[in-house]
Amino acid sequence: MRLPPVLRLLVRNFESNLDVITLIVMFGQPAFLIVVLGTMFTPIVGNLGTSGSYTSFLVPGMIASQMITGAVLSGRIFWLDRRWSMVEQLFSGPFRRYEYLAALLLTTLTFALVGVGIMAVVALPLVGLPLLSPLELLDILGTIGLGAIFFGGLLIALGCRIRSANLYFTIQSVLQYFLVFISTVYYPVTSKTPFVLRAIVYANPLTYAANTVRDAFRHHFGPGDVIAAAILAGLSAVTFTLAVIAFRSLDFGPVQ
Amino acid sequence: MSDVVVARATGLGFAYRPGEFAVRNLDLELHRGEVFGLLGRNGAGKTTTVRLLTTLLPPTEGTGELFGRDLRHCGRAERERIGVVLQSESLDFVTVERNLTLYAFLWSVPREVAKSRAEEMLELFELNHVRRRKPWALSGGERRRFQVARELMHEMDLLFLDEPTVGLDALTRKRILAYLAARAKRGLSIVFTTHILHEADELCDRIGILQGGRLRATGAPADLKREYRGSRFVEAEFDRPVTPEEDRDLDAMLARRNPEFTQVARSAARVEFRAPDAEGLVAELAAWTASRGLRLVRIAVREPTLEEAFVGLVADGAGLEDDREDAS
Repeated sequence: MRLPPVLRLLVRNFESNLDVITLIVMFGQPAFLIVVLGTMFTPIVGNLGTSGSYTSFLVPGMIASQMITGAVLSGRIFWLDRRWSMVEQLFSGPFRRYEYLAALLLTTLTFALVGVGIMAVVALPLVGLPLLSPLELLDILGTIGLGAIFFGGLLIALGCRIRSANLYFTIQSVLQYFLVFISTVYYPVTSKTPFVLRAIVYANPLTYAANTVRDAFRHHFGPGDVIAAAILAGLSAVTFTLAVIAFRSLDFGPVQ
Repeated sequence: MSDVVVARATGLGFAYRPGEFAVRNLDLELHRGEVFGLLGRNGAGKTTTVRLLTTLLPPTEGTGELFGRDLRHCGRAERERIGVVLQSESLDFVTVERNLTLYAFLWSVPREVAKSRAEEMLELFELNHVRRRKPWALSGGERRRFQVARELMHEMDLLFLDEPTVGLDALTRKRILAYLAARAKRGLSIVFTTHILHEADELCDRIGILQGGRLRATGAPADLKREYRGSRFVEAEFDRPVTPEEDRDLDAMLARRNPEFTQVARSAARVEFRAPDAEGLVAELAAWTASRGLRLVRIAVREPTLEEAFVGLVADGAGLEDDREDAS
């Protein structure tokens, strides 16, 4: 049976370019944070209103942040493909550019969802997981899917333009930490949060994703989440378009 | 080699920036079963030409065809019929053996076929002992062999090899070239870029010499050598070193009697010239030697090597105004 090109590339993406240690670190780090931060901060922070304990607050945030983990892994695959001329090699073969791009985004999405599953497994013995309605589950997966496309598109667009591995991985790390820490993944925005910081937090798509997952966990799904999903969809469309444009004009000059 | 054209370029060109052409006015036809060598100095446009013909770059001028279809509109159907060994190393981060089968999987080669072909390639390219290693752990020559082996995992009608023998020892090179020649005899067309000119001389049916992005000459290696200014080489060796006075006399005689000669090499008892009228030069050298009481130990006329023809052709065009560095 001849598999469709996107699926063949997807299989390759999973097999090539990623070693087991990288995967353990990428998925293990947030799981580790849930356990360590949750255990250490819960007694200090106390109860966080409707969210309950700090660990209960943290888990949805870490689940939302998996969209970044997925995007980072795909960005890494793309960068290594560029560095080792596999992009050029594949484009001279039986693949179209959009198929390669689609496979990368599908890889992002799959990694993000695998991350969600791992976080859920880690969270289960600590705080348990709420019984979600199909709509809430769809909301969580949709939000993470859109977020993965947003960050995946952004990193791919950057990866198309940057020729230096040092610069690419520096930007990716800074972006990753900036987005995770200036969001509501680890802490809520309150009336005491400085205005500038609050403005940046609300300009960050990860905030909307974390809030949406949190709302779904608390069964507080409402119009705000629909608006958040719409904003995320709009932003994802923008970065996806950027990735497509960057891909169309991707040159095969040397990268280091 | 058959008359069936597999790829064609008509006035084909590519500019990385407006007005800065890496390749220009390329006219070329590649036939089924033909081995075509692309020669040129670094930056002459060889890699850009390969990228154009493999649809990796869209032409910015002229037209081209791959299997009868306009290069600008070529898609999967045409690319499935070509193989490309890039100048740069391309690899997946799995073992050598898995790289071969994974690549075959990408090309939809049935699993059983892929497995047996991988064994064949590992054997042919002497990679059996490193089959479980990751490609980046291989030596330079092994990596190059691996690149060629991997590309041969799928079927194709036209194979582009961009400097495939860089870093290979002479024996391995010979074996790979022999394998490629055999495949060409069975109908595979090959475009081959190299800096090792005797290798091109051995393997290629036709050769194109690129300079400054333009095709300066095309033809069979023998024709290129013969047509290169119509010149041949005359080598003469005397029984003793010539004196300074004889040396000056020889110069004067040659300048007077055969002004079109070019001295290639000269030592005390040996001279080598390139001359359009080699037989005339031989007669004059013989007469001059006798008149000076010298004896010719050896005198020979030979065709230029491909390297001499190449160097001569490229040197002639060294001052082309439109020379452009290949940005690739």
